[in-house]
Amino acid sequence: MDDLKLPYWLGGLVLALAGTALVRDAYIASVVNLIAIGALTAVSLRFVMLMGELNFATAAFVGIGAYTAGATLTILGWPFPLALLAGGIGAGLVSIVFGYVTLRTKGPYFLLIGFAFTEAVRILYSKSATLGGTSGMIGIFPPVALDGWMPTFIVAVSALLILGLYALERSDFGKILTAIRDNENVARTVGLDILLIKIACFATASFAAGIAGSLHAFANNVISPGDFSFLVAAFALAYVKVGGEDSIVGPLVGTVLLVVLGSYALGLGGGEHIFYGAAIMLAVLLLPRGVTGLAGGKRPQAGGGH
Amino acid sequence: MPPDTEPVLLRTKGLTRRFGGLLAVSDLDFEIRPREILGLIGPNGAGKSTTFNLISGFYKPSAGELHVFGENCTGRSSLAISRLGLVRTFQHGSLMRSMTVADNILLGTIHGVKGGARRRERVAQTAAMLGLSPYLSEEAGNLPHGLQRLVSIGIAFAARPKLLCLDEPLTGLNQTEVASTLTVLERIRDEFACSVLLVEHNMKAVMRVCDRIVVLHHGQHLATGTPAEIRADRRVIEAYLGHRHEH
Repeated sequence: MDDLKLPYWLGGLVLALAGTALVRDAYIASVVNLIAIGALTAVSLRFVMLMGELNFATAAFVGIGAYTAGATLTILGWPFPLALLAGGIGAGLVSIVFGYVTLRTKGPYFLLIGFAFTEAVRILYSKSATLGGTSGMIGIFPPVALDGWMPTFIVAVSALLILGLYALERSDFGKILTAIRDNENVARTVGLDILLIKIACFATASFAAGIAGSLHAFANNVISPGDFSFLVAAFALAYVKVGGEDSIVGPLVGTVLLVVLGSYALGLGGGEHIFYGAAIMLAVLLLPRGVTGLAGGKRPQAGGGH
Repeated sequence: MPPDTEPVLLRTKGLTRRFGGLLAVSDLDFEIRPREILGLIGPNGAGKSTTFNLISGFYKPSAGELHVFGENCTGRSSLAISRLGLVRTFQHGSLMRSMTVADNILLGTIHGVKGGARRRERVAQTAAMLGLSPYLSEEAGNLPHGLQRLVSIGIAFAARPKLLCLDEPLTGLNQTEVASTLTVLERIRDEFACSVLLVEHNMKAVMRVCDRIVVLHHGQHLATGTPAEIRADRRVIEAYLGHRHEH
């Protein structure tokens, strides 16, 4: 495995956690939660982009995670850590079945199936009386001990998963994903089971998306089908595109930038959706490699640059 | 069905592939033996590529049988066949352009070699043999064409196949590059006891390096023999070489 630059990551993590410990304002706390959950969702989306697929079902898996955590906690009475984990595992398991069926398709087909799946799952929640129908579920509370520490907790869990996905990306597994994006047939001819690898990548990303959903449920205490439309994936895509998709730092930078600016725009009474749409367009037209692409100057693995 | 006992790596019996009304490969019998470089030649449209895709499992035969390393592989997937030890390259862009040369070659080691250190050792060994050691950290897509062709062979050979199938590996190479690639093929055969199936248009190179040659014409088997026999074969001259001499 290549150098993971662990000291930098740990330094950044300690700084971020120390920062969250200082947060005492409820509004700022909610923005911090949004950033951490958004970053985890964006990194999950980008993880599937490594193998060349745009995974709009990310939104569905965030929703499945949130509803699984909500249902296991409020209906089944599971303890908080188990309910949190159940969100990730639930999303991961569903994604294995979904991936097994759909990952034989590629490109626009896969994107459209993910889009349709997201909307179909959303309709299922709203038709289910157990899950609260269109008004959703309420009372998804974290333990009292975490009162006032939710931003710290959410940043810590998100960071742990992001670091895990980063380590996977830098491992030989990550190289297989890039190879599949570049030239799937060559990867197949040297004995690699492409479908199995795609499902593994997809399920890993969906587990992370599911945990993002769990965190969302515990941060807001209330969830409803409207929270998990395809817009979740569209926002995540904006974070990735604005930040830059060449490295995992891109979606992190993009999330911080867009959530902070978006929160500001909301205060002005402007529609944040227009804001996000404009951000994607500007990023694609003016900064094809995102904000981090501007700073870095060249791709992380490029030998010579151009 | 009992496995073949003869020392033959690959054998086809009546291998046939139809595309609608077109008979691309018809009733083809041929075999690949241990430690040989077998040339598969024929004019454009003779069925070389189809044959290549049939034996590597990318196409399913319409009729006939395919035996690889003594196992009946008729109708098996490309993945199953590659895991038996038959690894192929593609005519166009048989590499990962955005990845470094080292990571390209590494890809060939992942299935067969466990452990990062041993994989990297295999990469270094493979690169050294192909003369790619100085370029390991270069992005493959930035390399000159000739080196990219060698990277393609490197990915496939890093898997240490028992049978390496190369689809026109010499296209676009200059004379020096052709000569060094042929030397690599001979070393693969002699030092690693790996047979090579070579589909190639460069007749001079085929005649020089191949132990035996199979000639296809209109999807059918026309002749099999040593380079000297093929050169002297009247049917081959009429169908193929004669046609080329008109240019």
